[in-house]
Amino acid sequence: MAAGLFAFRGKSSARTDVLLGFAVAAAVILAWEAVARAGLVHPQFLPAPSRVVSAMWTMATTQNLLWHAFVSTMRVWVAFLLAAVMAVPIGILMSSYRVVGASLEPIVDFIRYLPVPALIPLSIIWFGVGEETKIFLLWLGTFFQLVLLVADDMRRVPHEYVEIAFTLGAKPRQVLTDVALRSMGPTLVDNLRITLGWCWTYLVLAEIVAADSGLGFVIWSARRYVKTPEVMAGVVVIGLIGLITDQLLRALHRRMFKYL
Amino acid sequence: MDTAYIRFENVTKSFGAVPVVSATNLSVARNSFVVFLGPSGCGKTTLMRMVGGLDSPSSGAIRLDGEIVTSPDRRRGMVFQSYSSFPWLTVEGNINFGMRYRHDLTDDERTARVTHYLRLIGMEDFRNAYPNRISGGMRQRVAIARTLAAGSDVLLMDEPFGALDALTRERLQVELRQIQREERKTVIFVTHDVEEAVFLADRIILFSARPAHVLRDIDVGAVLGPERPLEAREGEAFFRLRNEVLHMIRNETGGQR
Repeated sequence: MAAGLFAFRGKSSARTDVLLGFAVAAAVILAWEAVARAGLVHPQFLPAPSRVVSAMWTMATTQNLLWHAFVSTMRVWVAFLLAAVMAVPIGILMSSYRVVGASLEPIVDFIRYLPVPALIPLSIIWFGVGEETKIFLLWLGTFFQLVLLVADDMRRVPHEYVEIAFTLGAKPRQVLTDVALRSMGPTLVDNLRITLGWCWTYLVLAEIVAADSGLGFVIWSARRYVKTPEVMAGVVVIGLIGLITDQLLRALHRRMFKYL
Repeated sequence: MDTAYIRFENVTKSFGAVPVVSATNLSVARNSFVVFLGPSGCGKTTLMRMVGGLDSPSSGAIRLDGEIVTSPDRRRGMVFQSYSSFPWLTVEGNINFGMRYRHDLTDDERTARVTHYLRLIGMEDFRNAYPNRISGGMRQRVAIARTLAAGSDVLLMDEPFGALDALTRERLQVELRQIQREERKTVIFVTHDVEEAVFLADRIILFSARPAHVLRDIDVGAVLGPERPLEAREGEAFFRLRNEVLHMIRNETGGQR
């Protein structure tokens, strides 16, 4: 079982993979702890992981860390779902009907290249500093990317499938729902999962600039007092949420697409 | 011709300025097995696709049972070489696919038909398997069964066995020929493999290089008869005909190679 690990493109069992992943992560944390304890780096730059964990505990028990995490997660999901609900049908239409694709692609391509940070001032002018700005910025960062990804997924549905369905008596609508959507399902869910990750990037940005809640706010306030353990704790929480969400979505993917 | 079931009337096709098919007149009898043979990219596939309603002629018309073909429907089913079965459906789901759109069948009839066609292709044990768990040959069988189950009268096959190994291909050729006779279907089969063409066909239409036109119309049935067991390909008549067709191709298209 371990032999395949060192072979080029070798095979190994899922359990070995998980064990290996945890072992390496543990080794990195231990090395970090050792370096910090040995006093090789000033704790204000690199506090020991144990310090980060204890800071996280204090924040969770006395500073509403969980509530901040919840607020951030909600912002991400609201913006992400909004982007997805709009991007999936529009992306599909762009690849299904020439007229939609040809008319939208230049605009989408243009906006896609605008860096989200550059639009923060504009967003504040438009929406103030409330929730709308954050949702808008996250939506902006994901919608235009996602539209093109969805359009691409749709375009990659093998034409053979579409033609087979037509010769089996399906109507265009049925070809869309029974063939195209089913065929693009796995890549679509994958792309949604990846885009959700991007949301977190823009979230922290939005929360740093204009917020009094959320993990970005927590990190940024801790920085003001050079509370490095708390800054790191905030970052670690984001990482953990990301890791858990990603694993859950992967599990969902496996359940939904058992045939793969 | 009274027996014409599918009729090409002065059919031409160009893609932009490129002529792909030049004026073709042809008629295909009901329940016959017709092979379109010709060099790769010669336009024979385009002709077949036009029967399916997947491409339309630039001029002329194709008639099915007297009626001009304009769009695809379940009377003419396609079987492709790749992407032939839907990976997200089981074998049963694939065979059932076209019947979902037929309101004239009850659920019991659908199940009965699935069972019938599973037995016909000898895959009763694979009812609940997904396509990527079965072999390439089985996937092509499923595609054929799915087309028949939907109620197609005409099978349009675009080099369906092209990606299979030689032994599987031979076996599928025998099975296809049997199925075609038993189920009384009309088949238009596109290939560039001479041996495959001779073994399968009642009639071979030999096409030129692009733009396609009919070079020869070869009555294979008159030589080999309707029955095509595996041993048919070992007989002398088979060899002689195969060589004859090969010579025809060399003579007619040799200059272009």
